[in-house]
Order: sequence, then C-alpha cells, then structure tokens
Amino acid sequence: MLTYIIRRIILAIPILLGVAIISFLLVYLAPGDPLAQFRVPNVRPEVLDRLAEIYGFNKPLPEQFIGWITNYVQVWNPDAWGLSITYRRPVLELIAERTPATLLLMGTSLALTVVIAVPLGMLAAVKQYSWADKIVTTFATIGYAMPSFVLGTFLLYIGAIWFRVFPFGGMTSSLRVESNPLDIAWHLALPVASLAIQSIAGWSRYIRASMLEVLHQDYIRTAKAKGLSANRVNFRHALRNALIPVVTLFGLSLPALIAGAVITETIFSWPGLGSFGVTAIGQRDYPVIMAFVLLGGIAVVIGNLVADILYGVVDPRIKY
Amino acid sequence: MADRTYDDVTQLPVDDTEDIDRTEVRSYWQLARRRFVRHRLAVIGAITLAVLIIAAAVVPLVVENATGVDINKSFAAAEIVDEEGNLVLALLGYSRTGINMFTQLMAATATSLMIGFAAVLIIVFIGVVIGAVAGYAGGWVDNLLMRVVDIALSMPGLFIIIAFVAFWGASIWTIILAIGITGWTTAARLVRAEFLSLREADYVQAARALGASPRRIILRHMLPPALAPIIVAASLGVADSVVLEAALSFLGFGIGAEQASLGTLLNVAFEYLNREPYLVLFPSIVLILIVLAANFLGDGMRDALDPRQRVEQQ
Repeated sequence: MLTYIIRRIILAIPILLGVAIISFLLVYLAPGDPLAQFRVPNVRPEVLDRLAEIYGFNKPLPEQFIGWITNYVQVWNPDAWGLSITYRRPVLELIAERTPATLLLMGTSLALTVVIAVPLGMLAAVKQYSWADKIVTTFATIGYAMPSFVLGTFLLYIGAIWFRVFPFGGMTSSLRVESNPLDIAWHLALPVASLAIQSIAGWSRYIRASMLEVLHQDYIRTAKAKGLSANRVNFRHALRNALIPVVTLFGLSLPALIAGAVITETIFSWPGLGSFGVTAIGQRDYPVIMAFVLLGGIAVVIGNLVADILYGVVDPRIKY
Repeated sequence: MADRTYDDVTQLPVDDTEDIDRTEVRSYWQLARRRFVRHRLAVIGAITLAVLIIAAAVVPLVVENATGVDINKSFAAAEIVDEEGNLVLALLGYSRTGINMFTQLMAATATSLMIGFAAVLIIVFIGVVIGAVAGYAGGWVDNLLMRVVDIALSMPGLFIIIAFVAFWGASIWTIILAIGITGWTTAARLVRAEFLSLREADYVQAARALGASPRRIILRHMLPPALAPIIVAASLGVADSVVLEAALSFLGFGIGAEQASLGTLLNVAFEYLNREPYLVLFPSIVLILIVLAANFLGDGMRDALDPRQRVEQQ
C-alpha cells in the first residue's frame, strides 16, 4: 500500500510540472508589459534595465520558469509563492487565511449530499418506476440541468429578497464581532443549499443507476430466495456494493473541496478560495492566479489518489 | 413480423420459400433514425433545440432594433405589432428601461448558441486529431498524448477560461477559443478508446495488408465507426459550452452588453435582482432548456447510433 502511494506521488510529479508550465505560460504569454507601470518619461532606461534584471525578465524563458518553480516548491518559506500584488502580502498566507471558509462551505455541502443523496438514490432504485422514483429522477434531471449561477440566483432571491430570512452574502454579519457559530451557520445556509442541491441531483442519479445494476445480479436473487427480509437484502447485500462506485464521485468532489466553488462563492460573496481566485483575475494579481492554478492541479491529483485508495478499502477484491 | 413483404415470392425459383428471411434490408442510418424516433424525450429535445435555433436566428433579423432601449415603452404590455404598425414581437412585454424582452432574449440565445456550436467545433477537431493519433499510433505517442490529457484534466477549467479571456480581452472569439482549447479531453479519450479497439479489428488489418496508407485507414476505415461517440459527445459539448460561456459572462468576464449572451443578461439581471427580479427568469429558462434538450438529444443519439441496440419489431 505504502509503495503504491509513493509510486502514485512520483507519477503525479510530471503532471504537476505540466500544470505548472501551463500556468506559467498563461501568465507569461498574456499581452502586457510587466514593467508598464515604470515606463514613464522620468524613469531612465538604465533603471528599467536594472528592474528587468532584478525580476529576471531579461533571462530566457526556461531559466525564468526554473527560477519560479524552484521557489515554488519551498512551501516552508512563507513567501515561496510570491507576494500578492493587490495585498502586498505572501500568497501562501492569503491562501491559508481563506482555506477554512472554503473547507467549511464545501465540507458541509458534501456531508449533506452524502446524507441525502444515498437514501434518495436507493429509494428510487428499490422502487423503480414508482411515483417516488419518478419524483427523484425528475428532480435529479432538473437539478443537473440547472447551471450553478442560475440556482444560486434563484435561492438568493427566494431566501434573501422574497422571504427576507437569510442574509445576502458574506460569512458573518459584522467584520468586527468575533465569529459566532450560529451567525456563520445562518450565512452558510443559502450557499450550502445551492451547492448541495446540485450535487444531490448528480449523486442520486448515479447511486440509482449503481443500485439498479447491483439489484439485478444473481446474488441478490439468491439472497431473496433464501428468505431474507427486503431490508436486509437492500441494505446489507445491495447498498454496500452499490456504494463502491460512489467512492469515485467522492474523489471527484475533493478538488472542489480544496479549490472552492468559483461561481457559488462569488454569488454569495463567501470569503473562500474560489471567490479569491476570481477577484485575483479581475485585479491581474498574477502571483495569486498562478498559485491558484497550481493549487487546483494539486487538489485534483490528491482527489484521484484518495479515490483510488478508498476504492481499495471498500472493495477488497482490488489489490495494489 | 409486419415488415415482411411477399410481393416477389412467386418469382423465386425455389420451392421452399418459407425459410427465406424477407425482412426488409435497412441501412445503418435508417435503423438509427428508427431507434431515435422511438426515444420520445430525444425527439422533444431535438424539436426544442430546432425551435430555439430558428427563433434565435430569425427574430433578431425580422425585428428592427431588437435589443434597443425605448424609455417610453417602460413596462409596456406584450404586443406583436406596435402602434405604428412595425413588427416588434414583444411577446414578453417591456422591462423597466423599455427593452423588448423577447427579442433581446432571442438575440442573446443566438450569441450563446453560436459560441456553443463554434466551441464544440474546436473541441471535436482537437479531440478527434489527438484521439486518432494516440489510438492509431499507440506506444510512446499514445503515452505522451494521454499524459497531456491528464495534465489538461488536472487544470481548474473554468478558472483557466476566465483568466485566458481576462488577459486576452473578452470577445466572442477569445471565448470560443478558451472553451475550445480547454474542453477537448473527453472527446480525445473517446476517440482514442475507439481507435485502440478498431486498430486490431480484422478489416483494418486487412486494409493494412492490402497496402492502404495510414491516412486512408484512419479517414475511411476507422473514423466512420468512431463517429457515434463523437456525435454524442458533441451534442453534450454544446450544452457544456453554452453553460461555460454563460458562467463567464455571468461573472462579468465575458462579452459586454453590445453583443449580450444569456450569461450577460443574467449578469445584468443579478444586479437588479432586488428591483426587477423578473429579468432573471427568461434567460434562466432558456439556458435550462438548452441543457435539457442537448442532454436528451445526446442520450437518444447514443441509443440510436449503437448498432447493438435492436429495433424491436412491432
């Protein structure tokens, strides 16, 4: 197992390097001159050359990249990921500050999704073609077809404008007051609902399909034939196996858990990583943008690894 | 067995005609069409998309000044012809600022669909080329290209699209390009998988033995059977691209008001959510319709284009 994990991490290095190269090129090839703000008449050309030398802009592209990436891996240095242009503070520090908000938002919605989608998908599969199945399937199809910004806008309108029950956005009512868990929960409700409805729609479809496939297998018929109760067959025999593919879904949700939900966080002005990244693009805060792309890549690699390890845990047939 | 025809039985020279299967011979595409028509939701999806495309193409052309503002018309009721007898097609009435909401909606749908279809063209092109090369060549070429796919799949897609469009300036073309060059991975994987299995197929080996060039083998022998998953992926890709563009414009990084897409309309509507919530409704409905219709269409085509699915005789 340990050797498997180590091998996977080594295999991930070229992928992360590729992500780093693209993230570097995305910013490097962008039109615009990094020294534009200094190109004013009273700045002498020698000063500009000196600046270009300090920042390394006159070096060839590969050398610039290597300089950047070697800084990047030194995460034990607080300023390894550079300084944010907007905040004049280390990018790593800013990311660390916004991570708890994203983890809270995404973690809550993921937990809610698992708790609601598994019973829903199971109900729809066990009672296939019943009215319950039709309601779940219709809900899942509509929820799946609804873009997150449409759903978020609807929920914001219903919750904050129509009924005036929930706040418009943000994470706390006041920036100065110490954060109170109830106040945060109140702010959390709409963004979590928006994220959870979408993922419940996707998950319940998936669990229904997976459960149906299991229910048609021979060992289920055997279990029924030997006189086991329906509950025992459905929960002990079918559900356990139906949940194996769900582990993949869990792994696919992990990157979002880390990198946040760009759209939902922006709609509800949730101070997490997703909205931070989008704001950084608006402000051309290049160090933050590059950090965000790489963070996304790391998150995907970790998510895939966790999914594969969990797969081995829930399915004893899989050996590493 | 309603499809049997007995017209020419008498002309057959053999006595024992009962054993001959006289099922009409139908081509692959005829069978596919039959299977598709049986799929009720897919037909509804196809009709919905067709109606939207036609309306989006025609309405802005026949109505003069389809997206203009006329403050005198503020909150005016729905009308088809205005008092001067001009065709206005204001089926949804006018907004507070006097915008003809139906024609504006159709113009935005046209922009959205245009971006969606154009992006899918790029996605399919890159996907087919990379998938075909990887699947046909195999070996280290395949390995290398699949690592490129892994890298592309590990990037935060929406974020990259936003950054690309923000840096290079938001225009229809940068948006199409951004969605196209980030979205080809699924198509490439599908084509590669088809090609890997087709490469070993007997008829492809035969073509190779007869001295056909790789170009001919790929284009004539391998691409046509791989077409079905490409078509399905393309129809789902249209929905994805339309939604991606809408997300981009919704966040304020897409095209501005001068050539508004559905996302631009939602961006504006979001600002006025408090005062004019009705503005959100119709662009949202059209977006959801496009996604649903393209998905049903894709599902229907997946079943229709699969030759293993039989058309049951009625």
